[in-house]
Amino acid sequence: MAANAPLLELRDAVPSFDESGLMPAPYNLRIMPGECAVIDCRDFERAAMFADLCTGMIPLTQGSIKFMGLDWSTLHDRQLNALRGRIGRISRHGSWLSLFGTHLNIMLPHLYHTTDPFENVVHRATELGHTFGFPGLPITAPDRLSGADLARAACVRAFMGRPDLLILEDISDMLPEETVLPFFETMTAARDRGCGVLWFVRSSAAWHEYRKAVNIHMRLLDEGLFSLRVV
Amino acid sequence: MTDTSPPPPEQQASSVLAQMAPPEDSKDTGRFATLIGRFAPWLAAIGRLTRHQVRFTLLLIGAGWGTLRESLRPNSWRRPVIYEFRATLRQVIGGGFLSIVITATLAGLMVVSQAAYWLGYAGMAQMTGSILVSVLVREISPILVGIILMGRSGMLSLTEIGMMVLGGEVRGLQARGIDPFLALVMPRTFAFTVGGFTLGMIFAVVSLLMGFVVAHASGAITSSVWTFFFNVLAAMTTWDYLIIPLKFVLVGFFVGLGACISGLTVSSNDTMATIMPRGFARGIMLVLVVNILFMLDF
Repeated sequence: MAANAPLLELRDAVPSFDESGLMPAPYNLRIMPGECAVIDCRDFERAAMFADLCTGMIPLTQGSIKFMGLDWSTLHDRQLNALRGRIGRISRHGSWLSLFGTHLNIMLPHLYHTTDPFENVVHRATELGHTFGFPGLPITAPDRLSGADLARAACVRAFMGRPDLLILEDISDMLPEETVLPFFETMTAARDRGCGVLWFVRSSAAWHEYRKAVNIHMRLLDEGLFSLRVV
Repeated sequence: MTDTSPPPPEQQASSVLAQMAPPEDSKDTGRFATLIGRFAPWLAAIGRLTRHQVRFTLLLIGAGWGTLRESLRPNSWRRPVIYEFRATLRQVIGGGFLSIVITATLAGLMVVSQAAYWLGYAGMAQMTGSILVSVLVREISPILVGIILMGRSGMLSLTEIGMMVLGGEVRGLQARGIDPFLALVMPRTFAFTVGGFTLGMIFAVVSLLMGFVVAHASGAITSSVWTFFFNVLAAMTTWDYLIIPLKFVLVGFFVGLGACISGLTVSSNDTMATIMPRGFARGIMLVLVVNILFMLDF
């Protein structure tokens, strides 16, 4: 990836309507390393679909989406998976496997994509757990955790392993108030080392306190993605 | 305003055929095209049905090859994959052990004691070993082991993966760059393969042993247990040493693969009520097909 190249770039990307339900309009977005783009979207499902679009999971009928200079559509499965392993993501739905305990769910992507010693992974996850208010790592099944604990666990998982891009769906309604500040701090620390952030929000209350640090503000509607003035 | 919509396919076919045919045969060709046009929907329906029925077989062949090929890459056996393999292996062997022992005991009671009794009655006691190897170990064991494997663990895998697909967890895995085939299908299939072999061997030994105990107690067999097992082993041919483990291995492999693939290919219209019967029927079919293929060749 070139030094001044965009981290994530959607250039007239028109998603396949059949597979996404997203309007087949051209989407344009450009996030440089360290930038934070906030996208207003009231519909959770549409936000999740757009997040999928940015991670190359939805075929395009036109245009291109590049992440770290690589076009998703030209990559093979193994390359796609490896590249997606560089993205930290918070999802609202379908992101917890009931087969494993929450601790394994948190560490799973990192254990899958890296060869870091297991102890180091546990140590890092526990540290992040402390940051987000856990006494350690929750080992119970995810479906037994409260919404607030799942939101904390989602944050721990997303920030694990120095991701290059953070795609954060809005969990502000579940995240406990005392965790908001650590969330901003961890996000800022990630941005400082060059990580881009794509942050979906439902209302301005979710990002109000962070607004000065936001570089791009857009709105995702049925008709497409529209640029707004950064406040 | 003229109608510019294209004619239906049957009419297109008949018009093309009519244009291609020489003028003197136009009447016959027209009749032929009409005939084809009449049967085209039926042929299409048969084609659709055939494709639908063959789809699972083709998926199974492709996924089987993919599983074998991927398993040879050291890069495929990452930590979550190994974890999944161990967890499934524990479930397959631990979950099926008691069922296998009980079923093997019952099968042993029926087959060994009956064979020993009737062969002794007919003055063919020396055939006991070969009859037991042929009937119990080579033919009955793989089928029963396959059915237990499917009932105890295959249906569980099918349901787990199917519900993960319907709940969006599999898509969530993909979004994090975790290949569901590598993370779920491959380790589970190999766990079933190892489990099939282990449970099959347990089944064979327990069934023979329990059969011997009953037959010995009833006086149908008077030799020692060592002589009995020696006779059984002596009755086995070189092929038996290859085929019997191979059957257990293949039954395990295909039951596991079939369950995982069935789970991974559920559609949004599916529910538990549609997933389970389909998976059960496919599992039974796979167990029988593996055994029948061996029966044909050997």
